[in-house]
Amino acid sequence: MEEWGSLMLAAQAGNGGAYRRLLAEVRPWLLRYYARRLPPPSVDDAVQEAMIALHTKRHTYDPDRPFGPWLAAIARYKWIDRLRAMKRTAADELPDDLSVGDHEAAVTSATVLTALLGELKPAQAEVIRLVKLSGLSIEETAARTGQSASLVKVNIHRGLARLAKRLAAEPIEGRDDGE
Amino acid sequence: MASEPHDRLIERLAHGLKPVRRRLPLRDAAILIGLGIVEIAIYIWVSGMRPDMPEAMGLMAFWWKAASLGVLAVIGGATALGALDPTRSPRRGLRGFAVAAAVAIAAGWAIDAASAGVGPLIARLDWREGLACVRAVVLLSIPALLALGLLMRRGAPTDPGGTAAAVGLTAAAWGGAVFVLACPHDDPLYVALWFAVSIAIVAWLARLVLPRLTRW
Repeated sequence: MEEWGSLMLAAQAGNGGAYRRLLAEVRPWLLRYYARRLPPPSVDDAVQEAMIALHTKRHTYDPDRPFGPWLAAIARYKWIDRLRAMKRTAADELPDDLSVGDHEAAVTSATVLTALLGELKPAQAEVIRLVKLSGLSIEETAARTGQSASLVKVNIHRGLARLAKRLAAEPIEGRDDGE
Repeated sequence: MASEPHDRLIERLAHGLKPVRRRLPLRDAAILIGLGIVEIAIYIWVSGMRPDMPEAMGLMAFWWKAASLGVLAVIGGATALGALDPTRSPRRGLRGFAVAAAVAIAAGWAIDAASAGVGPLIARLDWREGLACVRAVVLLSIPALLALGLLMRRGAPTDPGGTAAAVGLTAAAWGGAVFVLACPHDDPLYVALWFAVSIAIVAWLARLVLPRLTRW
């Protein structure tokens, strides 16, 4: 970490090469940090947010002091920030019998649905497809995908939330035509 | 974990990296001191000093009021500026501020007890004048609130609530210290009540608003 201080000092002076190397070396540290503290689906996003925070606040690093505590303070701040965000969007327990018979064709076209699911993370799209469209139970889906039952529920909830946000932001084509 | 998005992000952040001006707490403090001097000069120029200033300067209560507010502003300012470093917490400074405020009130009580003239309580508190004092202190705290708010936004406070409270307390004590030049009241009871109300209002507003505006 001593060397990271020197790299950050060079980055503060505008040395992009040193900064690139610093971020590349800091990334595994952040991955380990968040992997111990957050659910697996949140880790990547948390690492990205921490790197952006590190970038935005790089002028607050004092080269006379060790780099480690500075990095740890930023990582911890973004971790707390993420925990708060997760609390705000806390998922309700989804009942196992939530799935219903396959009737998506009556609701929307398979093409649109496939396109929408394609925008989700593969793990989210897969569990939504299995539980919501194929009618499998949470346990069956967990056994088939290798995800834990709670992770299946989390992925369904997050995936649906992302779809809802996506749909709200951009109307589906043809919707203005009286659908 | 997927490294491709991270690699893209690293490339984006490092590409065309610009030099940054490092945050220096002493420079921030110098800016605040300069702002304080300018505000005092403008306030005296616009409102003038209290007419009995020469006599007031002979009163212990006047110096108690000025020194207490000045010390509170310095403690609060040091706490707020320190807390803009992500590795520093404002909590210890806030405790120091609370202790200093308690000492100031105790000293005021001692000065009050030693004074000869003790009128009826309501008359001494003079609520109409008191509310005018509150308004003046709140208005005079705005420049410091804005300056410290901007510094907070540029800094990296990891305890936004505590830092915002420190900023509010500093700005309010600052406003009070400036208002000492015009406030004609030296009764410790009056000063303790109405200045405390002013400080509480500004600190509460800062605590409420600043964390939202300075989120990073």
